[in-house]
Amino acid sequence: MLTGMHLTAIGDNNMLLEPTDALDPSSPDDYVAELMEVLQKEEAQTLMYDLNQVPLIDQVYYNWLIRLNNLCRLANVELVIVNIRTTAAFSLAMSLKTAPPFKCSLDVDSARHGITASLQD
Amino acid sequence: MVKKKTEKKSTNQILVELFMTQVGAITNVIDEQGEKIFVTDNLLNTDEIKDYSLEFMELLVNVLHAGEKINRRGMEYKALRRFFTEFSNQIQVRGGTLDEFIRYTQFLQKVFLEGLEHDAKLTFEESRSVLLLVAGIFNDISLDVFNVYLEEKERTIQAQQDELKQTSTPITEIWDGVLTLPIIGTLDSSRTVAVMENLLSRIEQDRARVVVMDITGVVAIDSQVSHHLIQMMRAICLMGARAILTGIRPEIARALTSLNINLGDVVTRSTLSEGLKEAFIYLGVETCTVEEKARQK
Repeated sequence: MLTGMHLTAIGDNNMLLEPTDALDPSSPDDYVAELMEVLQKEEAQTLMYDLNQVPLIDQVYYNWLIRLNNLCRLANVELVIVNIRTTAAFSLAMSLKTAPPFKCSLDVDSARHGITASLQD
Repeated sequence: MVKKKTEKKSTNQILVELFMTQVGAITNVIDEQGEKIFVTDNLLNTDEIKDYSLEFMELLVNVLHAGEKINRRGMEYKALRRFFTEFSNQIQVRGGTLDEFIRYTQFLQKVFLEGLEHDAKLTFEESRSVLLLVAGIFNDISLDVFNVYLEEKERTIQAQQDELKQTSTPITEIWDGVLTLPIIGTLDSSRTVAVMENLLSRIEQDRARVVVMDITGVVAIDSQVSHHLIQMMRAICLMGARAILTGIRPEIARALTSLNINLGDVVTRSTLSEGLKEAFIYLGVETCTVEEKARQK
């Protein structure tokens, strides 16, 4: 089991990542290798990152998401951010200088049905 | 020879005596003038004017009785000022203007000063001190009333601005999961924040999948406005909804190109209706007329 997150296979090669309070976004190296292993083992095609418990996304957390997105591209997995809170979306949109490279979806169900949004389409 | 000892009266005493000897006449004149100013405009009725006159007299006597000199920090003086503040507030709530109330307070002042003319026993010095005292009291009252009106005016302007902000960016769900946001006027930072907060909450609440932002009503665009537009588009995408920008008029397009602003991969359409069609395509919704449907069958 990975520390700092719950990683669940939810069918159709989709995996759901729910970060816990123990996740340290300032140390992505602690998670990358192990995560890659799980994604490959499960033959994941989509990784849904649930931000429901994250009230605010600062630069450190955003960097972690970028790092995770890079990892997913290497593993040929699509990263989809789901359940972002309005406060987090607001603060992130105000601070971003470029469009985020990952896709976003309103919730897990929408993401499963391929309803995503991205400015990088 | 015994010298007759004459006690010098204080200004307050002079005014109280003047007031006591002419109380009936003063009250009648004040009531009469109050009716002229306030009753004709339906701001107060006759009973209310009488009540206010009576209360004013009582409070003024209390102020004059409180000491030999008027204590501007005393409870009695504060009560008199508060009375006028509340009185003017009521007049304003009922649609009265500052002019009417100032006219009324000036009239009150005039009544007292006219009373001095009838008192032949008063020396020049005494008349002068009474005049200064009365003028001082009414100046304070006028200032208080003016401040009340100013505060109320500011409150009204603020409320109107808030309402304008709300109504100038109405977010409407025009189809299941489709929100429209027509932007009219200009987008400054404070408005962007307010619009974004409302919009993101609506996306979450309505589970919106598409947001059509129509900028037909945007008069001019500069780098700051375009930056705010991009921020809004990003926020919409982060929520998982698709953003469609419509109504880019030729002048706006020229401004955007001259500012060298790249809207990136933002989906744009010429009109709101085209934007709606794009939203339907994205949602997999097909629309047709009744005839078309019949033909298909």
